[in-house]
Amino acid sequence: MKNFSHLLIKEIKELLNKQLIISLVFILLIFNFIGNITRTEMKKAMAKQKIAVLDLDRSEISRNIIGALNLARFIIEEKTGDKEKVVAEVRNSNLDLLVVIPAGFGQLASSFQPAEVETYSFLKGISISGRTKSEMVKALLTSTNEYLSNEFLKKKIPDLDPTLLKAPIKSREFVVVRDKQAEGSTGLVIGALTAQNFILPIILLYIVIWSTQMVITAIAMEKQNKTLETLLTVPISRGSIVAAKMLSSGLVGLLVAGIYMLGFRNFFSFSNEDISSALGGATPILKQLGLTISTQGYVLFGMSLFLTILCALALATVLGVLAEDYRTAQSLSMPIVFIVMVPYFISLFADLYTMSLPAKILVLAIPFSHPFFAMQNIMFGHLNLLWFGIVYNFLFVVIMLWWTARIFSTDRVLTMKLKWRKKKVVL
Amino acid sequence: MAPVLEVEELKKKYGSLEALKGISFKVEEGEIFGLIGPNGAGKTTTLRIISTLLTPSDGRVTFLGFDLKKNPEKFREKISYLPEEAGAYRNMKGIDYLNFMARFYASNESEARLFVERAIGISGLGERLKDKAGTYSKGMTRKLLLARALMTKPALAILDEPTSGLDVINSLEVREMIKGFTKEGVSVLLSSHNMLEVEFLSDRVALIDRGVILDSGTPRALKEKYQADNLEIVFRRAVQ
Repeated sequence: MKNFSHLLIKEIKELLNKQLIISLVFILLIFNFIGNITRTEMKKAMAKQKIAVLDLDRSEISRNIIGALNLARFIIEEKTGDKEKVVAEVRNSNLDLLVVIPAGFGQLASSFQPAEVETYSFLKGISISGRTKSEMVKALLTSTNEYLSNEFLKKKIPDLDPTLLKAPIKSREFVVVRDKQAEGSTGLVIGALTAQNFILPIILLYIVIWSTQMVITAIAMEKQNKTLETLLTVPISRGSIVAAKMLSSGLVGLLVAGIYMLGFRNFFSFSNEDISSALGGATPILKQLGLTISTQGYVLFGMSLFLTILCALALATVLGVLAEDYRTAQSLSMPIVFIVMVPYFISLFADLYTMSLPAKILVLAIPFSHPFFAMQNIMFGHLNLLWFGIVYNFLFVVIMLWWTARIFSTDRVLTMKLKWRKKKVVL
Repeated sequence: MAPVLEVEELKKKYGSLEALKGISFKVEEGEIFGLIGPNGAGKTTTLRIISTLLTPSDGRVTFLGFDLKKNPEKFREKISYLPEEAGAYRNMKGIDYLNFMARFYASNESEARLFVERAIGISGLGERLKDKAGTYSKGMTRKLLLARALMTKPALAILDEPTSGLDVINSLEVREMIKGFTKEGVSVLLSSHNMLEVEFLSDRVALIDRGVILDSGTPRALKEKYQADNLEIVFRRAVQ
């Protein structure tokens, strides 16, 4: 045990080298920097913004529209004169939106004939505020249209509610999950679940990729620096050597994933308040539908995740033995990256449960797949699938550890190489 | 007195290639035993088997009464192995490397300190031990590794081509280090294709070629037997 902890500390120190720490600090700074820029742009977009308005009509309706624009967080800079000249003037100014209300607009609108409002967006770059301004003007005109048509209908049919006339059929949506149902839209429920869990696949992806790369590289570097032979002859069991390499890589992998997540959190300005606002009114619906995770659910998810990390580390250890140097190690970690991408993308863009049987078997045969779907399995009661994943990964880990221990206790740890030209393992 | 190491009919096969065809020899306490032969003769394979890196295909290796197949951990406790192309952890300072290795063999902190102090003396690297091993020359790395191998005063030090790749001055220093240490009771099993080096260092030698020991004895006895001035000529005549 003394020798194991001694070796483990050395492995962690080797992995947590200056280069890694510098790159992690750099990543945090970059994410923070980009996040700050995005937040500033968002604030700009949400703040009162200056737009130019040319009112050539000067009717009551046109003044009402300008008043409404004023209320909708716009600072109005009213222009006068010829349209072409005003367009040229705004183009050369720091304004990027011009609303033109043509002459006769009020008369046409009040007599319910087609009336037009022109908006000119001056693109001076790809910014969030540039897009939101024209969207807000569009939304304002839609509600003005709504207001005018409602007024017209009220005048013509005073006894009838105009909204009832325009939409006589009302709908009530219910969502059913297993034996539970709640009133609400499917879009709201799925949106809320996505907002709650979107970060999870990214965390899983990073943990698996970083941990495996670290194990493969750690073993390959022992070979490249010619230190492995010496290490294998010191009085410590081969199992302890393997375990120290795997555990240190797992721990550093978790740390790296955590730092990445911190960076992402800064990047997305991700906070508890944001989650609450993303969930909106969905929280009570999710509770009614039982789409919340209990303590037992988190324990099961933890088991699935832990076994998956072990699977990745065990597989990486075998691949590490095949690597002769750092360059080969990088090439050998690529298959794992590609394999882990499969469940990652499926969890983001496809539904595992509606996939064809062969495709489903293929996905579930990948040991890294199971935690990607574990949360869904827990929430939607696919517990058989969850337990299958846990047992499957447990067996996979046992077999891989047995194989790894065999390799490390025989000549193969020194003689096993990957021959690229012949594309086969030579023992 | 029982030998420290006894090798009997040792065989090793890599697939169809027979690297060792049944070699036997003994190493006595405080003795330097040299295996000499050309590249590919089976020297490194023999040393790797004794240091528990490779498993023998057949034969028996006994060290201080322990059988290699049954008690490899006993071998690792009392044997120090210096591989031919060994390196140190590049990001570790020389002194940290010695500390790291010493702790595997020491039963407590004070013993580990003793090992490290001894290694500092053997290596002769002085202040350079505070630098990272990645900045060392080949000669310095070799001295560091030799100090690591000898600092625990192992019952048997296995040194594979100990002066491989070193210049004349460094080679001389390393040879003197090895010679000096056997006076303290350490047995040494070394291999080299430099027969003059082995002649200078070894009390007894075995001539190995194509997995077979051709002859063994003290350098003087072998030179007399083959009527030669040095072991290079002895080896050539033994092969013929």
